Amino acid sequence: MDLLRSIGITEIVFQLMLVNAILGLSIYLTLYTGMFSLANAGFMAIGAYVGVVLTQNYDLPLWAALIGGMLAAGVVAVPIGLPVLRLRDIYLAIATIGFGEVVRILILNFDTLASSISGESVQLTRGALGITGIPKITETWQLLLFLVVTVYILVRLHRSRFGRAMAAVRQDEQAAATMGINVVYVKNAVFIFSAILAASAGVLKAHLTRTISPGDYGFDQVVNILAFAVLGGTSTWLGPIVGGFVLTALPEILREFKQYRGIVNGVILLMVIVYLPGGLVNINGWKRLWRRIRGQPSVTGKIQDAETG
Amino acid sequence: MNRKLVSLLFVFLMVFLSFGVITAQDEMEKPLVGFWESCPTPSNLPATVTIGAIFGLSDAVAVYGVPQRQAVELAVDEINESGYLGESVFEVKFEDSAGNRDQAIFAMTKLVEEDKVLAVLGPTLSSEAFAADPIAQENSTPVMGVSNTALGLTGMGDFVFRNSLPEAAVIPGTIAQAKETLGLEKVGLLYGNDDDFTVSGYQVFRQALLDNEIEILGEETFAKGDLDFNAQLTNLISQGPDALVVSALAAEATQIILQARALDYNGPIIGGNGFNSPAVLRDTGEASEGLIVGGAWNYGNPNPTESSVRFVEMYEAKFDQSPDQFAAQSYTGAWLMATAIRCADFAADADLSAQRLAIRDALLQIRDFDSPLGVFSFTEDREPSHDPIAQIVSGGKFEPLAVVMGEGG
Repeated sequence: MDLLRSIGITEIVFQLMLVNAILGLSIYLTLYTGMFSLANAGFMAIGAYVGVVLTQNYDLPLWAALIGGMLAAGVVAVPIGLPVLRLRDIYLAIATIGFGEVVRILILNFDTLASSISGESVQLTRGALGITGIPKITETWQLLLFLVVTVYILVRLHRSRFGRAMAAVRQDEQAAATMGINVVYVKNAVFIFSAILAASAGVLKAHLTRTISPGDYGFDQVVNILAFAVLGGTSTWLGPIVGGFVLTALPEILREFKQYRGIVNGVILLMVIVYLPGGLVNINGWKRLWRRIRGQPSVTGKIQDAETG
Repeated sequence: MNRKLVSLLFVFLMVFLSFGVITAQDEMEKPLVGFWESCPTPSNLPATVTIGAIFGLSDAVAVYGVPQRQAVELAVDEINESGYLGESVFEVKFEDSAGNRDQAIFAMTKLVEEDKVLAVLGPTLSSEAFAADPIAQENSTPVMGVSNTALGLTGMGDFVFRNSLPEAAVIPGTIAQAKETLGLEKVGLLYGNDDDFTVSGYQVFRQALLDNEIEILGEETFAKGDLDFNAQLTNLISQGPDALVVSALAAEATQIILQARALDYNGPIIGGNGFNSPAVLRDTGEASEGLIVGGAWNYGNPNPTESSVRFVEMYEAKFDQSPDQFAAQSYTGAWLMATAIRCADFAADADLSAQRLAIRDALLQIRDFDSPLGVFSFTEDREPSHDPIAQIVSGGKFEPLAVVMGEGG
């Protein structure tokens, strides 16, 4: 622990690393199934707000808020997923960004809206000012436990019939459908699972940072979440976790660089993208990089790459 | 031959430079800020006293954070050169928060728990302060916001201070003065509804208007990043207001002023802290005529304190740019911290929590402190107390509202 602290990773940094790993996993699920969905920040917002209202206004414990937030996001994901998941690629991305913006603006105007409907003054989400003074009750062991359980479920999922269906849908939807896979069901189930995971990260993070406001869940946040998965790589579940860890910890480790921190951070990320296009957790990428450094011809590598996808 | 010439030049240069240094030292007067008389020169302090500062030094927020750091650096040099803390060296550790809440939390944790600083200045944004200040409070470390204006900030705990006047302290005075001098009866209200700063400004404006029995003809909203305000402005202007009251940040403020003038609205526009920036005046040019701004400090203040004049001179000489309100507040903040340390004069071998507590108690005692912001005091609630300024743009310059209107009519 002392070693970690000496390089700038304090407990709170480690806690947010874990939260971001969960967020990375939430987008990894949809990417793994071949869906370029960017709705995660919206679901994170739903989770955070529902969770905070449950702990602050109804004095419920964290685990109840966690379940409440996850349920809310899961319920919202059903009517969103059914129509939106008919879209593909960039069109799906645009539609889900739209969803995120709708959530953000609804939360922003929730009090005004509720006040005008009910006729009384409602003070729940507190608009742009956000909710402050949330107690810090999320513990490191809870985050660790949550992450381990999530990974366990994911590993089991990958080996299951449903997991193979997810991979099949990513490879080719038509082919998967001809093989008897219910594509609509698989896509929607994964979308809901991803939403629930994002919401849980929202609840846990809100009780770490003590304050939430709608601005935290805008487009910036989606790009961050996507970056966790892309940097780490999406070929295994380990990728988004490593991505979330690295992207959270790196700016803190680089604090000694003062004003050059942003540049050093950017250069490191750029090198990863250029030299390891498959992400940090991708054995073939490292092998190829090794060959490039050694300067050997990479004929076999190319064949291997073509085979693995 | 050549080498000789170079070394000769070098010697000349050194002599010339040292002359420069000597004359500069001669010119160095005692700073105009500080409790030189009321607190004796400290004798017990450790060899270095280190505080932290969290400012947004990268990303979009650097517009505010960089002047803040420069102003603190200026104050630190002045404090050390003048021997304000006796034999001790005053040191500030800067950390970047990039306007990001998570990073503000990280930076505060690092400073308070790892670096074990005595006190912290910052963070830059109120939203960061709400996330990071509780960490200082939990560790019983004084933290002073130098640019946080949101409501309820110092309510977070008895170690949380700020020296930046909240909107609630600036706006009511501006509105009351505007009503007195301009005879306002009915106004239109325009504000950004998706930003904590503009929303809290709007709430205070609204309350101040109600308190002064000024009728609000209509309320219109916009979002951060909007460029076109014609629809909202047309709605408000068509109702014939005596003034437009606007709560906006500098970027939107500029466009709102320009577009209102383009719609042939020539009446006064009343703005909050967001308008109090040299950039707004520069970018709007003639259109800013009749703009009324309340603020804690202004570069163009026609009646500055002596220390404010000196601050502006030194800042411009050192950084080759004009200071803004945030710089003035940060400079004062660094001096306030140094003053608390001077007055506390804690023993070098006292444990950290006792030293922090001593600084907190000394901060609470600060009354009638001459600073660029005016005569500054901390209230019992750790809030700032000094006179805000209400000004109107007249002839391309800020002038005191009462004077201009007194002459005019």
